[in-house]
Amino acid sequence: MSDFKVIGKKTDKIDAMALATGQPLFVDDLQLPDTLQIKILYSPYAHAIIEDIDTSEAEKYPGVKMVLTYKNTPHIIHTTAGQGWPEPSPYDTYMFDKKMRFVGDRVAAVAAETEEQAAEALKLIKVKYKVLPAVFDSEEAIKEGAPVIHDEPEITGAYDPKRNLAAHIEIRVGDVEKGFEESDVVVEETFETQYAQHTPIEPHVTLTYLDEYGRLVIRTSTQVPFHVRRIVAQALGIPVQKIRVVKPRIGGGFGTKQEIILEEICSYVTLKTKRPARLLYTREEEFISARTRHPFKVKVKIGAKKDGMLHAIRLYTLSNTGAYGSHGLTVASNAGSKTLPLYNKAENVEFVADIAYTNLPVAGAYRGYGATQSYAALEQVIDMVAEKLGMDPLELRKKNHIRTGETSPIFKALGEGREGVTQYIQSCALDELLEKGAKEIGWFEKHGKERRNGSKVYGIGMSMHMQGSGIPLIDMGAATLKMNEDGSFNLLYGGTDLGTGLDTIAAQIVAETLGIKPEQVIVYASDTDMTPFDVGAYASSGTFVSGGAVLKAALKVRDQILEVAKEKFGEFDTKDFILEDGKVISLKSGKNITLSEIAYDTLYVKNQHQIAATGSFVSPYSPPPFAVHFVEIEVDEETGVIKPIKYVAAVDCGKPINPELVKGQIIGALVNGLSYALTEEYIFSDSGRMLNPNFMDYKIPSTRDIPEIKVILAETYEPTGPYGAKSVAEININGPIPAIGNALYDALKIRLHKSPYTPERVLEAIKNKK
Amino acid sequence: MKVKYIINGKEEEYEIHPGEVLLDVLRRNGHTEIKGNCYLGTCGACTVLIDGVPHTSCTILAAKVNGKEITTIKGIGELDSPHPLQQAFVKTGAVQCGFCTPGAILSAYALLKKNPDPTEEDIKKALDGNLCRCTGYVQQIEAVKFAVKLLKEGKNE
Amino acid sequence: MLKLKGVEEVYYPTSVKEAVDLLRKNKDVTEVVGGGLDISVLPNPRIKYLIFLDKLNLNYVKDAGEKIKIGAMSSITDMINAEPLKDYLHGRVKGILSEIATELLRNQITVGGSLGKREPYSDIVTLLYGLNAKVVLSDGEWDEELGINDLYRENFRKGLKERIIKEVILEKYDTGKFFFSMKRHIRNATDIALLNEAILIEKDGNKIKNAIVAVGARPKPAYLFREATEFLKGKELSKELAEEFGKFVESNVETGTDIRTTAEYRAHIAGVFAKRIILESLEG
Repeated sequence: MSDFKVIGKKTDKIDAMALATGQPLFVDDLQLPDTLQIKILYSPYAHAIIEDIDTSEAEKYPGVKMVLTYKNTPHIIHTTAGQGWPEPSPYDTYMFDKKMRFVGDRVAAVAAETEEQAAEALKLIKVKYKVLPAVFDSEEAIKEGAPVIHDEPEITGAYDPKRNLAAHIEIRVGDVEKGFEESDVVVEETFETQYAQHTPIEPHVTLTYLDEYGRLVIRTSTQVPFHVRRIVAQALGIPVQKIRVVKPRIGGGFGTKQEIILEEICSYVTLKTKRPARLLYTREEEFISARTRHPFKVKVKIGAKKDGMLHAIRLYTLSNTGAYGSHGLTVASNAGSKTLPLYNKAENVEFVADIAYTNLPVAGAYRGYGATQSYAALEQVIDMVAEKLGMDPLELRKKNHIRTGETSPIFKALGEGREGVTQYIQSCALDELLEKGAKEIGWFEKHGKERRNGSKVYGIGMSMHMQGSGIPLIDMGAATLKMNEDGSFNLLYGGTDLGTGLDTIAAQIVAETLGIKPEQVIVYASDTDMTPFDVGAYASSGTFVSGGAVLKAALKVRDQILEVAKEKFGEFDTKDFILEDGKVISLKSGKNITLSEIAYDTLYVKNQHQIAATGSFVSPYSPPPFAVHFVEIEVDEETGVIKPIKYVAAVDCGKPINPELVKGQIIGALVNGLSYALTEEYIFSDSGRMLNPNFMDYKIPSTRDIPEIKVILAETYEPTGPYGAKSVAEININGPIPAIGNALYDALKIRLHKSPYTPERVLEAIKNKK
Repeated sequence: MKVKYIINGKEEEYEIHPGEVLLDVLRRNGHTEIKGNCYLGTCGACTVLIDGVPHTSCTILAAKVNGKEITTIKGIGELDSPHPLQQAFVKTGAVQCGFCTPGAILSAYALLKKNPDPTEEDIKKALDGNLCRCTGYVQQIEAVKFAVKLLKEGKNE
Repeated sequence: MLKLKGVEEVYYPTSVKEAVDLLRKNKDVTEVVGGGLDISVLPNPRIKYLIFLDKLNLNYVKDAGEKIKIGAMSSITDMINAEPLKDYLHGRVKGILSEIATELLRNQITVGGSLGKREPYSDIVTLLYGLNAKVVLSDGEWDEELGINDLYRENFRKGLKERIIKEVILEKYDTGKFFFSMKRHIRNATDIALLNEAILIEKDGNKIKNAIVAVGARPKPAYLFREATEFLKGKELSKELAEEFGKFVESNVETGTDIRTTAEYRAHIAGVFAKRIILESLEG
């Protein structure tokens, strides 16, 4: 178990050199002749009906081949969210609709020979709008009398569209009211988190074309190729078999590409014109008309006994899903399911969530997926409870967190759109994370002590987290492994590597299982024609689910190889056979044979058959990774500027299959979390227009913004995961807001209830305290 | 109008619109190794070297740099003979999605040409225009430090 | 995507006179290009002609005795690496320049382009105000030296259709008598300034003989804060002065609100910067 040859060892990402040398690996690096360029016309109003639209002038513009509107495109209601089927999201979107629901909603599209011609033609489209009253605040949106955003009769799957409720959740365990009465200390606070965008450096881009047989090929920057195929088929009313979706290298996703946004339009243009069609989002379109993070209002009430045991927790979240329902329900579910079980000692728990439609940009999937917003509040209230109890917040967490062997009723109560699945924790290093992280940051020396240098004040804060590894009994991945003459293998699997390195993990898993080197595994992924199914890259499912499928296929292939070797050795069972260095070795007799010899034999010589297997993996388990974060900040009392000085992320992701990739996921996520805590926000006009859709005014970090970062890995062995691995992709983005919030309180005894923690907000709080 | 560039040592002549930016001209003519599309000079994915100096090609007017030497990522190393910077980026896990990678490597390349022994501050400053959303930068900075080592060892051979 | 759709012709003049003659021919639809950043990022579709100044050899930074002369085509990077600016005013100018924007943009932004475009958030403009820099306008036959405030008199953009910015001249201040500092408020390291402030103090012993206080990115372009100068003149440098000056600046500086931040916050920051710069001057 511990003496792995490949697992846990430094292994170069298999596509890294090709990427570092600029090979044409991305969607837009395939440039086909005769490609039509598509540009989209967006609604200038947050809520309006198109009374009349005249595209005749646009159609006449030189180079224009097609103008699309609601009048000449399929009118099939669907969801754009890339999720399993039946989708836990409302069917509330059309390719083009008569009603506009946010500034940035689609009015029309033009396909022309060049981008410039398409852009010019857009200006010639004449639209007569009837402007309707709009609503931008989630609390206002769900009140009586608010403008109804989704009044289309065809809508299905929305909880109560007349009240602008895309979804609603209620779960109860025990009796919270009684629990609060029985508690010695009760704290209730509300926190608000803001809109954010993933800003993958490669924006959304899609190229569609007809292959030699007239089949539609969609080459797209997506996290969910199989969902793309299904939903495009649905939205265009064509059979799934007529579509092939190919995902090449992707320039980042983080959730915004877990959505079917450009593909229907491109596909429709290609099907109608028989020509390739290309749609590339500008950075501005990526901000406004792609997907965003749900803004949340989170109210947390915690009751605790004076010995520090938590007794009752009430969590209420009101999330803003924007103009369309997309991931509204499941993100809100996660706000409860990925947070409450962490504090499983509280026997009385209530979670209620409202998911509101508003006339603002659409929220979707974003790394952390509701847990980020929920932890922003929960982990700060935990600190507040500790203060009231006169207890060290680290101690309070240590007393209450879930442990190996334990469970929580929340796991079963809260699934994603359906009932969940009971989980028992089988690996958890939280105590080690708490101890090592505290030591690294100097918790006991620095926390609760007044430290200042002139107008600079210092503080230390912490936060504790869990997430999941895939969605239990829902997420499925599959892989096919086949053998070649030279002892190399082709791995065809549905797993969707968006830069995370999943393909490398897959190669390592095969290599470890078959006793070969990762270089001998040729990975081909995410092609709906050529690879088996996989739900796609989300819910931190890559290593656990896709990797699990790869392991299953590899084990089956291993068995086939051993059977052939057994024949060749003339032995009776394979019990004492090992696979090492590309050979099968019988430990009993010492006989050995290379994989290549077995391959030649089985492909050409005797009992010919292709050594190959397909494995599918779906699991009732979703083992949570755990993380504890610590941050030391410097706050300038006079300007309100918060500067993180040192950040410690202590993480338990089971067995780290590839240490460098794991480190990259941890640091990448937490740096994103840092700017989400401090600088990222959407600024809206009074009429709902987003005013800062560019990097000049939507601030993400550069190399000069990162503090000293220390990553601590506490290795555990998760029996349900491939070679003991759990996920690591999302969890670390959840730390910075609460850790910094708690550090700010440590420094200045002020607590901010709205993120980002800009200097203006900090200064305001300092002033109000005086 | 026609322009001439010396791209990765080879002279190339292109037909351009005088108001175009370099990024569009290069990608249209097969140089897909240059990425990016913010068109504001803010993300750095479109970085090229012009006479050895890193620039965001999306803000450089194609006509302005007529006749100049342009270096793209393909000019510093190949798949089978990578530059030590490319080797270093691969080794330290600095390449995740890889979209920002060519730009970051070119910025680092320009830095090491004028300062073969940079401090961590120097490295951060040199790469501060190459935004990355995947890595959080730590491994990229480690990669440049590692490349410094590799280049020194290479010199000693 | 094609940015400058209207451009028909571009020119590479080899002398200032040639450049100015080309400029004057069709001024309303002609742009003089420094680094080319602003023009590609905020394209004007009406522009038909572009004049590139790259062949004029204006990217120098020279030590000229009592002055330092900086050619208009010097990039921010050129200035950071220039020997004459290395220790100028204790390296403070080099320090400020090194923080601005990103390496890629520092390589492209020129001092002439910054002055000519006068973006309200420009750090170069505030910096040069603070240094009491002179700007040389030229038509190829006659060079005129102007104080930077005179450059920006009314209709300065019209004036820049008749002449080009050729050079910037800095005074070599005796650091025994002069103190300079500039501060910028930014949201993260590579940000434009949300408020910038440059102060140059001429001392007579411990007394302030004269001072320049320039505040920019407020969000309006930089201006000479004369009331602040009057406040400082004749006063003794001290911690108390720093406090009072800070309060004075906060109450009297002209700031406004935009999507980036509020007038009140800008004023507050201007006050904090003012106080801190005076405190710095006490340390030397």
